[in-house]
Amino acid sequence: MMKKLQQIGYPLFFIVMALLPAVLNSRWLAVATTFVIFTIVALSQDVVLGKAGMFNMGQAMFFGLGAYTSAILNAHFGWPLLATLPLAILIPAIFGILLAGPIIHLRGDYLLVATIGFNIVFVQALQNNLGGLTGGPNGIFGLQMLSIPGMGSFQDFTPYYSALIVLLFTLFILRNLDNSKAGRALQYLREDDLAAGSIGINTRIYKIYSFALGAGIAGMAGTIYANQYSAVSPEAFDFIQSVLFFTIVIVGGSSVPGIIIGVFVMFVLPEIFRDFSTWRYFIFGFAMIFTMILRPRGIWPAKFGRIPKAFIKKG
Amino acid sequence: MDGKVLILKNVTKRFGGLVAVDNLSLHVKEGQIYGLIGPNGAGKTTAFNCITGIHACEEGSITWGGEEIRSLPPHKIVQRGIVRTFQTIRLFSQMSVAENVMSGRHIKSNQNLWHGIFHTPASRKDENDNWKAVFDLLDFFDLEKYAVHTVGALAYGIQRRVEMARAMAIDPSLLILDEPAAGLNDKETLALVETIYRIREKGVTVLLIEHDMDLVMEVTEYLTVINFGGKIAEGTPDEIQKNPAVIEAYLGSEDDDF
Repeated sequence: MMKKLQQIGYPLFFIVMALLPAVLNSRWLAVATTFVIFTIVALSQDVVLGKAGMFNMGQAMFFGLGAYTSAILNAHFGWPLLATLPLAILIPAIFGILLAGPIIHLRGDYLLVATIGFNIVFVQALQNNLGGLTGGPNGIFGLQMLSIPGMGSFQDFTPYYSALIVLLFTLFILRNLDNSKAGRALQYLREDDLAAGSIGINTRIYKIYSFALGAGIAGMAGTIYANQYSAVSPEAFDFIQSVLFFTIVIVGGSSVPGIIIGVFVMFVLPEIFRDFSTWRYFIFGFAMIFTMILRPRGIWPAKFGRIPKAFIKKG
Repeated sequence: MDGKVLILKNVTKRFGGLVAVDNLSLHVKEGQIYGLIGPNGAGKTTAFNCITGIHACEEGSITWGGEEIRSLPPHKIVQRGIVRTFQTIRLFSQMSVAENVMSGRHIKSNQNLWHGIFHTPASRKDENDNWKAVFDLLDFFDLEKYAVHTVGALAYGIQRRVEMARAMAIDPSLLILDEPAAGLNDKETLALVETIYRIREKGVTVLLIEHDMDLVMEVTEYLTVINFGGKIAEGTPDEIQKNPAVIEAYLGSEDDDF
């Protein structure tokens, strides 16, 4: 039953998402685009937090690293935005490895605090116009956006559809991850670190791997984010954003539908209730409290038992 | 030297001032079922932790097939064919039985890290081969009907079997069982004895800690008895049963006041 729902669920979701721009005005199209981008970042956060079970409160930094890599290469070196994508994935991934390496043995809250620190240092560096490249507190603007040749009239929709394509690509990667040795290793070390080591899993390598993969995907989302606004600025990647991504995974649960619900609750709902201004942050608080009480593993928790069907015997 | 011999020489492990394992020496031959027994708190589990790399021992040497393995981390010891189970079951409790056993195939799988991002035909085949190995093992341990069940929700005896299946999934040369019969009823214990014999038939050396004396005396071929971290006796089960030092350790000496 659940399986069937998921089988039709994904195509249905993408059909609805593909048709959405037809009914949205420009403000809501921007919200929808950001919704898709945040879904990608939240999925990348889920690789570290949900799958490998490490409290990473610095995902916005990797998101920002990707965005700034694209922006700097585009604004200062004149690369087309699409050409910056490989580096926007690679550089955050490398930073993920370098930063996670020394702190990976920290557990729980200690890791969380260390990653918050990284995030704050990152934003400070951006604001201080590091190397004359990051543009200080205002960031970098006037980026050349992605465009499809001969589709000039379609330009308004390119950010949205490029985000959707990247989301599809991310889901494809995560599906491969779930059905691979590396992906399962992450699940094992979340469940029981010591037992994972005792059956031969090098927990250190796989913890760093999850950081690198999460950072790479977040960096990819960063490029799309820079494309959406044709600008980047430090406050979009500060610690509060990391908290948002963290909360999405906790509230939604460590599954793709959970993440989508999480982004909807934590990002789209506050946009809908924008008229209530700061009161909408009540949603954050209440959503957290209610999921903690009613669904401690998230609204749509992870499902296990992903076993190839060919092997399962009836009965 | 033969590749399958485990030798502990004068192994000592201290926790602060407490000597948990004191000058312990063992010689486990290939294909043996070797027992390590002793009263509660004698240091049996600590000795196992030293062998499997969870604790690093301060003194002595642990050699496996002539290679010093004393200071290796747990995952490297597993790569050399030594695997253990835990006294308190440590399974991945939210996951299914098949996924738990699959974890043992981790070091046998030849997928690389990047196969977690993109699969190739070779990695898909590898994936399939490993699942097949898992289901063969589930068959061996009679666990097939539980394959998709969440392991944390299963009965204790079944969880014990899953943990053994997971350990066997790495194709070990030496299987270390830490109190495999703890919490099992008589019928399950009988099945366990049967299973241990079948594991040995596969050419696996078995080293076990056990409190159930009937089980130990029945299955083991050679025994070492330790108390307060140090060895007090060793020999065949028959010799051990007659050894006065062992009787004293277990039952107290005659002039003890009760």
